[in-house]
Amino acid sequence: MPEDGIDELAEGSKSRKPRRGKTRQAKASERLARLLVIVPYLVEHPGTHIDVAARLFGVDRDALVDDLKVVFLSGLPPYSPGDLIDVELDEDGTVSIRMADHFSRPLRLTRHEALSLYLQGTALVGTPGVPEATALTSALAKLREGIGDDTLGAAERVEAAEAGRPAELLDTIREAAAARERVEIVYVALSTGEESTRTVDPEEVFSSLGNWYVAAWDHSRDEERLFRADRMRSVRSTGETFEPRGLEGAGRPLYSPGERDVQVRLVLKPEARWIAEYHPVDEAAERADGQLEVALRAKELDWAARLVLRVAPYAEVLAPQTLQERVKGLARRTREQYF
Amino acid sequence: MNQLERLLNLVGLLLESLRPLTFEEIREQMQGYEPSDSGKRKFERDKDVLRDNGIPIELVSSDPWEGSPQAYTIAKDRYYLPEISFSPQELSALFLAARSGVGEDPSAEQAVRKLLSGAEGGVFSGAAPGPLGIGPDIDGGRLTATAEAVLRGGRRVRFSYTTARGDRSDRSVDAYGLAWRAGHWYLVGRDDERDDVRAFRLSRFASDPADIGEGSEPPEDFHAADHVDIGLWGPGQPGGTATVAFSPDVAWWVTTGIPEAVVGEANKEGWVEVTVPSTDDVSLASWVLGFAADARVVSPGALRDEVVGRIEAVLGA
Repeated sequence: MPEDGIDELAEGSKSRKPRRGKTRQAKASERLARLLVIVPYLVEHPGTHIDVAARLFGVDRDALVDDLKVVFLSGLPPYSPGDLIDVELDEDGTVSIRMADHFSRPLRLTRHEALSLYLQGTALVGTPGVPEATALTSALAKLREGIGDDTLGAAERVEAAEAGRPAELLDTIREAAAARERVEIVYVALSTGEESTRTVDPEEVFSSLGNWYVAAWDHSRDEERLFRADRMRSVRSTGETFEPRGLEGAGRPLYSPGERDVQVRLVLKPEARWIAEYHPVDEAAERADGQLEVALRAKELDWAARLVLRVAPYAEVLAPQTLQERVKGLARRTREQYF
Repeated sequence: MNQLERLLNLVGLLLESLRPLTFEEIREQMQGYEPSDSGKRKFERDKDVLRDNGIPIELVSSDPWEGSPQAYTIAKDRYYLPEISFSPQELSALFLAARSGVGEDPSAEQAVRKLLSGAEGGVFSGAAPGPLGIGPDIDGGRLTATAEAVLRGGRRVRFSYTTARGDRSDRSVDAYGLAWRAGHWYLVGRDDERDDVRAFRLSRFASDPADIGEGSEPPEDFHAADHVDIGLWGPGQPGGTATVAFSPDVAWWVTTGIPEAVVGEANKEGWVEVTVPSTDDVSLASWVLGFAADARVVSPGALRDEVVGRIEAVLGA
């Protein structure tokens, strides 16, 4: 059945979460808002299953049935039976709506709705490695041209420059996350260059600052970990599935503090100030000489040493002393590549 | 009659009516509003609900020649979404985008639901792959305020801005365009004081942008994205190439992640020479230094000198 596609599409909706406990009676205003969107869809697509419609539009099934009962009572003057909207909910669960010409097309998008979708869509188009980017580009063009300047304005002035790192195994890990499949990954740690094999439950796949990340439960260490998708050398299904723990995805800090973290104090010259923008800092103090003194946490001192070498000589290590030694050791080994 | 039923009838009545209707006419035709002050108040409340939902209910004079009562209408062309048809793949991609954001704002998803009516054939085909998140580095309010200025066209905004080097100043900018690049949104426009087109990262704004009046329009063929496309290693067009050798531990990662890279044969220790477009030796040197002893500059000499010079600055300190 073609409807299957709708089932899958409706999965993952923000509004899909079933309400627990006592269900709140939605206000007439909210119910009106969703009906002015759902009714036109059902007029245009007669025979849609009620469950499909409920999921597609993010409404509880029973609430939708209640709403449709009200639609059934409404219509146009003089409100004789022949003037009322005809809603038919069949025994097989399909819905059809007739006699609703005035609701055969939905209400226009508000400016805020159109803008939110357009901006989010543009950002996704400009993020590398998304297979849906082509379809999204044409959908945004249709939206821009179709809804008119009065809703969206000069939308062609919003653009994306594709940049950032694609990840070869993005599709694989994304499918595993969607299917809640436990996987075994071979991963190269960004901080140390060390390769390891781990069993993880991938929950959220998201892009931040141009890189793809996977928030997962790491069974090898029994803790939550953030993995860079591009640092995965392989992803293999274990055949097991997992129950999501509700790990945070997009928008989370890219560093989760741990008990064994070491605090590092650095003085950054202007050339190295970006460190304070890209890494969460515990403290940052402007100095009179235009340098920035920061305190930040590192899981591994080797990671901090590489960071300092990367911006050498524009970052000075204040503490700990061992970091200063590691930076020098790393610099000496790097110098050996040349002499 | 409950409020929802009344609201549906009111929208239907005003959409179908051939001319604007006064409250008295609405009351007579529609049922549900008592002929009293409370009936009128009920109508006023319903009208507010319609407005809150973006329904363009307007008040017009029913007859301009007399002091006639005011009448209500809903303009069809402002109410109905124009017909736009979308393929199943396009709708699937729009849903993916609408759900990729952070936070509770449901408006992008609501937008896609409105567009669903235009589903070609009424069905969606193919599997919908898992959700993807796109983390912004700013809050939605600042993005919306900046986007509004750009979309209105010909606006000038003023805001406080901190550069990457930490210098803060007030800027007046003609808002030409908005561009997304690698997780950041940028306002691109003509900086009035500097008389030049610049890109400003929204996450470096120290204040929300204030619309301060009319500004110039962008030149023809202006593309905001061109002004944030800073290449792999920094601003400017690639002026040449650089070749760097990488150890076996990191070579796989370098060679898969940079589409522009030209990858040579591995030598017997497994080191691989990779040639990449180069723009700016300073940024490229930082990138190479980040690999520490797993990377060695082969050419050009200037890049090698930059890397070695920076290592020696650390060792000499």
